[in-house]
Amino acid sequence: MTRPDFLIFAITVGSLVFFGGMAVLALSWSVREGQFRNLEHGSQTIFDPDEPIGEVTDRFPSNEE
Amino acid sequence: MNRGIILVIGFVLTFGSSWVGLVYLPYTQMQRLEPYSNELSNEVYPKPLEGSAADGRKIYIANGCIYCHTQQVRNAEFGPDIARGWGTRRTVARDYIYDTPIQLGTMRTGPDLANVGQRWSADWQHKHLYNPRMMTPGSIMPSFAFLYEKRPVDESTPDALILPGPWAEPGFVIVPKPEAKTLVDYLLSLNHSFDLPEARE
Amino acid sequence: MSADSFAVERARIDASTRLPVLVWFASALFWLVFGSLAALAASLKMHTPEFLGASQALTFGFIRPIHLNTVVYGWSSMAGIGTLLWLIPRLARTMLVFPKLLVFSAIVWNIGVLAGTVGLFLGMTTGIEWLEFPPFVPPILTFALLIVTFCGFATFRQRNERHVYVTLWYVLGALVWMPAVYVIAVTLCVYQPAPGVVQAATNWWFAHNVLGLWLTPIGVGAAYYIIPKVLGRPIYSYYLSIVGFWALALFYSWAGMHHLIGGPLPTWLVSASVVGSIMMFIPVLAVALNHHMTMVGNFHHLRYSPTLRFVVFGAMAYTVVSFQGSIEALRSFNVISHFTHYTISHAHLGLYGFFSMVMFGCMYYIVPRLTEWEWASAGLIRLHFWCSAIGITLYFVALTVGGWHQGMMAQDASIAHISQVEFTKPYLWARSVGGTLMLIGNLTFALLFTLNLMKLGKRRVGETTFRTPMKAVRVS
Repeated sequence: MTRPDFLIFAITVGSLVFFGGMAVLALSWSVREGQFRNLEHGSQTIFDPDEPIGEVTDRFPSNEE
Repeated sequence: MNRGIILVIGFVLTFGSSWVGLVYLPYTQMQRLEPYSNELSNEVYPKPLEGSAADGRKIYIANGCIYCHTQQVRNAEFGPDIARGWGTRRTVARDYIYDTPIQLGTMRTGPDLANVGQRWSADWQHKHLYNPRMMTPGSIMPSFAFLYEKRPVDESTPDALILPGPWAEPGFVIVPKPEAKTLVDYLLSLNHSFDLPEARE
Repeated sequence: MSADSFAVERARIDASTRLPVLVWFASALFWLVFGSLAALAASLKMHTPEFLGASQALTFGFIRPIHLNTVVYGWSSMAGIGTLLWLIPRLARTMLVFPKLLVFSAIVWNIGVLAGTVGLFLGMTTGIEWLEFPPFVPPILTFALLIVTFCGFATFRQRNERHVYVTLWYVLGALVWMPAVYVIAVTLCVYQPAPGVVQAATNWWFAHNVLGLWLTPIGVGAAYYIIPKVLGRPIYSYYLSIVGFWALALFYSWAGMHHLIGGPLPTWLVSASVVGSIMMFIPVLAVALNHHMTMVGNFHHLRYSPTLRFVVFGAMAYTVVSFQGSIEALRSFNVISHFTHYTISHAHLGLYGFFSMVMFGCMYYIVPRLTEWEWASAGLIRLHFWCSAIGITLYFVALTVGGWHQGMMAQDASIAHISQVEFTKPYLWARSVGGTLMLIGNLTFALLFTLNLMKLGKRRVGETTFRTPMKAVRVS
């Protein structure tokens, strides 16, 4: 195998293993941790009683009191 | 939990098998990338650049020629590069084995240069670099006059440029600096017309 | 916990990010202004080549990489890092760790970009697109980036919120992918250059992955937090957003080689990347559907929220540019568009229309919460938005139309190359007009940011919206 051949092979297979493998590991961690249970609750975790669902949190600045 | 692991394994197998088919198997049919040598005629192609042309390549790179010019001839099914006279055959991987850093390019604001050494003379190249609009009216290529020196006529040298009619300034000549000379030597060396077997496919 | 205690906790968490985030943002805006000026110079030089044409330091071949590298590594990356350093503590509901170390990392990153830029002015380019900074720069940037990655994960480890929100997946992913991609790319292109076409393949794999695995996750991830947070409405289909993330994680890194379609690479390598590019339809569709459906019934809020305007514009641009990208990878399309200005219009729709606009939106939301001071002028905010939005639209339309025709003409060997060049000139002028508008928008924002930091501008009567943890006014 010549050096350029080897390098192309190494980059493609290496990328597949590294990125794909890491994605697979992270995916299996999240399955084990129960991250995929109750997804509806997940979407609501960014709200709280002070910034609840139904209230806008940004506006143009104005001179009003 | 078990379902999760099975899902993960299934995903990996599906993904892995498609990539084996698309990537690994075709890979095993890949060409060798050594220079080609013809035993009958004793020719070896490609050869690494040497001397002035090798220095000129650095000037090409430093000035960012790649941002407007490519160095790759596409096959007829992709475009009429060959019909335009930009080459007699498409370029292939083997053409570039000594190119570091490679200057394939991604924009054709200007024409492709893979075989420009066969199209224009040194004299034309110098004048064109000095002021592209002098040789190609309407060109948007920047002027590389900073690679040249304007000197009084009595300090002229043999390689001074003779500017065409209205562009010439009486009493002055334009002399290429060393960077300009090596750059033109590099441009003249650009020739990928050697008949490689894989390029005939 | 009472509502107020949530507000107090959130204010404390925001405050822990104040110093590093503002330093990263201020640096980002400096590079945005610098990079935009270089951009305009480059654009003018394309149709008026004698403009500033006498000196080598300002020749197009120098200015173009200076523009690209300062807006990618200066503006985009620094704005992205500032944004994710604010997002991670918010989503993990914990204070940001080692803020002073993160300020140090910003200084180091700035040194890297500055040294690189000076190097480019001196002609020390590597000659490799997207990696032009001289060889002494990548170690500096990598060092700073690894500090950020480390602090991001260290903060995540101390999380008080058990659920990992989709945004957090995206930004943590980005913090892992970017160092890996960058180190591989500089090794194989700059330090141990692979010969010939292997280098080209790695080069473009890198350039595309900077978009897909660094900037896109930060931009898309941020939008997934900001849009629901501003609206007070959860993401339409959270399940779909998770699917979209995992699809991106698995498919994006293959798209990069489509840059070399028709070129001298082995066909299997290019085919693999075309497949990857098409598969990107899945996550893009997921994102598009989600953002649209979350906004449905709420588009009127665009009148009242600066943040929403910018982020939604960016999210829409993301959808357009991604579909455009997938289609560009198809051979029959690519034959026309390759090597033309069309590609440039695509790149700018992605980097400015999508990423920069999302960053602007995030900064409009984040900065007042850190400085506890309101933006000085609604009028200037509107000026920024309209200049940037109209500017990038004009830019995109001009080069898409011009580039497409350029490609069609290139397919006809009886049309001389110079005729192509003449044809594109009016479109290049239109691009300069669009680019000038974008520059005005950027300068306006830099001004607003400076006024905010200096606590200048119109005197506020009473509390600002964000000064104390009080309920935001419901806008109907």
